[in-house]
Amino acid sequence: MDKILWVAKREFLSTVATKGFLLGILLTPVIMLVCGLGVKYMIDNQEAPRVEGEFAVIDPTGQVFEGVAEYLRPETIAARRDDKLQLVKSGPGGAALQFAEAVSGEDIDEGIEKYTELALGKVPSISTVELSAGVDLEAEKDLLRKGSGPTKRLAIAVIDEDAVTLADGSKEFGKYSFYGREGVDDRVNDELRDALREAIVDARVTAKGWDLDEIKRATRVRSAAVKTVTDEGEEDSNELFSVFLPMAFLLLLFVSTLTSGQYILTTTVEEKSNRVVEVLLSAVSPMQLMTGKIVGQMAVGLSILVLYSSMGIGTLIFFSALGKLKLSLLFYLCIFFVIAYFILGSVMAAIGAAVNEMREAQTLMTPVMLVTMTPWLLWMPISQDPNGTLATILSFIPPINTFAMLLRLTSTAPPPMWQVWLSIAIGFVGVYAALWFAAKVFRIGLLMYGKPPTFGTLIRWVRMA
Amino acid sequence: MSDAIVLRNLVKTFGEKTAVRDMNLTVPKGSLYGFIGPNGAGKTTTIRMIMSILFPDKGDISVLGRKSALEAKDRIGYLPEERGVYKKMKVKDFLLYMAQLKGTDPSGLRKRIRLWLDKVELPDVDNKRCEELSKGMQQKVQFIASVIHKPDLLILDEPFSGLDPVNMRLLRDLIYEQHKKGTTIIFSTHVMVQAEELCDHLVMIHNGDKVLDDTLEGIRARFDPRSVVFEPLDASADVKRLGELPEIASVRRDRGHWELGLTDGATIEQAIQQVTTAMVPLRIEVNRPSLEDVFVQIAGTAEGQEELRAQVRDESAVTVG
Repeated sequence: MDKILWVAKREFLSTVATKGFLLGILLTPVIMLVCGLGVKYMIDNQEAPRVEGEFAVIDPTGQVFEGVAEYLRPETIAARRDDKLQLVKSGPGGAALQFAEAVSGEDIDEGIEKYTELALGKVPSISTVELSAGVDLEAEKDLLRKGSGPTKRLAIAVIDEDAVTLADGSKEFGKYSFYGREGVDDRVNDELRDALREAIVDARVTAKGWDLDEIKRATRVRSAAVKTVTDEGEEDSNELFSVFLPMAFLLLLFVSTLTSGQYILTTTVEEKSNRVVEVLLSAVSPMQLMTGKIVGQMAVGLSILVLYSSMGIGTLIFFSALGKLKLSLLFYLCIFFVIAYFILGSVMAAIGAAVNEMREAQTLMTPVMLVTMTPWLLWMPISQDPNGTLATILSFIPPINTFAMLLRLTSTAPPPMWQVWLSIAIGFVGVYAALWFAAKVFRIGLLMYGKPPTFGTLIRWVRMA
Repeated sequence: MSDAIVLRNLVKTFGEKTAVRDMNLTVPKGSLYGFIGPNGAGKTTTIRMIMSILFPDKGDISVLGRKSALEAKDRIGYLPEERGVYKKMKVKDFLLYMAQLKGTDPSGLRKRIRLWLDKVELPDVDNKRCEELSKGMQQKVQFIASVIHKPDLLILDEPFSGLDPVNMRLLRDLIYEQHKKGTTIIFSTHVMVQAEELCDHLVMIHNGDKVLDDTLEGIRARFDPRSVVFEPLDASADVKRLGELPEIASVRRDRGHWELGLTDGATIEQAIQQVTTAMVPLRIEVNRPSLEDVFVQIAGTAEGQEELRAQVRDESAVTVG
């Protein structure tokens, strides 16, 4: 036991007490911060382009054009955006906005206007023109082509005659056709089609003789509060947080596991190519050596995990948002780190022992890297349906189960407890299998020099040992 | 139990190749044993099995009275043939680490490391990184690592390879010193001359077989060629004429001198007297078999002799002595 600890201690110190490691660990958050600030700076200094042009409408009903023109007046567009803003601020996303305000230290209204402008584009300056029903449509369409005419035509809409009032014997209203211009921003086209939709609906309601204002009031539903009632009380539903949290946990698990796994590989290859390994084997058994290395590098991984999580927790405390983080999640993070790390670490140790130099390790590393990348590919399907079949099955296949379960635990619909513990149990079975495999390859590989092995060779060694 | 190592019917194969075949060996405590044989004979494989770094396919091993070296590792010092150091580690940290792994009592350990470094004439390297040391210096550091925990059994695999004559002598003295303290020592070499000068007991391994296991005297007596080396004072003299003497059975030219084979029943004294009377010698001496000769005699066929000799002769190395 003492020997394992001595090996672990050396492994830990020789990894952590290097300039490269300290710089890497401390610089990563700094670089991320700099990148974040850089992006913000660029956004702040970016001018959204203003769209200008003309929208032609052929309206045989005579009841739609007015509405479209009104909808697209720049002042109306600005007023509508302002309304939406107020809604956002008072609604469930408000907390997130206040959070953002606190982080940036900027006036929230000004900030939001800036970002809405970026999101929706500057309020466009669109003039609406009505064309008579008998106009030559093909000639008008020519104006949509590039480099034609003095004013830029953005689109033409042709509204069916029966779009507002039902034709005799028909149950369906008529439609409209929309001819757009190449290269026009989707957001502008959306705005134009929204205008058509709104104007046609308004016209239909008015044609029926209903009170338009009353119907508008009747169809508008606002929510005063969106809260999640939990065992502890009521919580604000925070979408920002529920997207950010799984990602942060996934990233933490990924970075810590992969960093320390990579170190195991490097140090083992180094010991082998330095020929120091047989000197070590005169004092410790291969199993003690491997265990010591795995434990030592686990300490490295845990240090990274603790350092970065405490940075995260510090941030949460600073914004008094710590209550949103369930402490049990940190506990699961640690358990799943141990499982994921032991599986990856022992495979890395086996690979390190099998090859003669780092270059040869690459071929064996490819399948390992593919497995570690899968959680990122499966992230979206798992978070969209945390209790679906895919997510459930993945929760029981080590080593992906660690990532999958963590995503599910941090999602808004956590899995049942029995699944979590079953996943942990299966994870530990996976750990045992990986250690068993690695121990055999490690023992034989350490003293094998020469031809770089393939996975087939490794399996033969396992059967041999 | 008075034997440091007992091997019984040891077999080890690597795929098709049998590296060690049915090896039986007993090494008594306190002895200085030499494992000799050309490269690839099976010396390192045998040593690795003794160290429990490799496991035999068949057979039993007992080391210092234990079933396996794993149980006695802390009492064994081992300098492997494939040896290296942590390049980035400081010399004293490396030695400290190795001593810790051997479970050495930490009190006075630093002082002992310093003393050892002085002893191997590396007084100022303790704070240097291992990579700053020359290969020969590293080898001395590795030797310290194998003895720092005062082992009862010391196994040295090709300890002299890569050392200059001065350091060879230094290392030889250190090995003697350990031997005098009562440490059982096994050392392997493919250079027969080194073994001849160091060991009191020799084990010769060839193609995985133990072909010889005896004291140096025993081997010499057994492989006594019963011949006399002779060089006449008059270089032009007809040495072949000596074959007519009743004590001389054969006369053979060998590498700048003559080798006179004795007839059965003739004694060395008689032969030398008769030869010197018949012809004035520049040099006349009893032919003592070298290990190289013994090895070639055991292993060799007539046509492959020179090749075999080359395998066990270290042309570049100067004799220890």
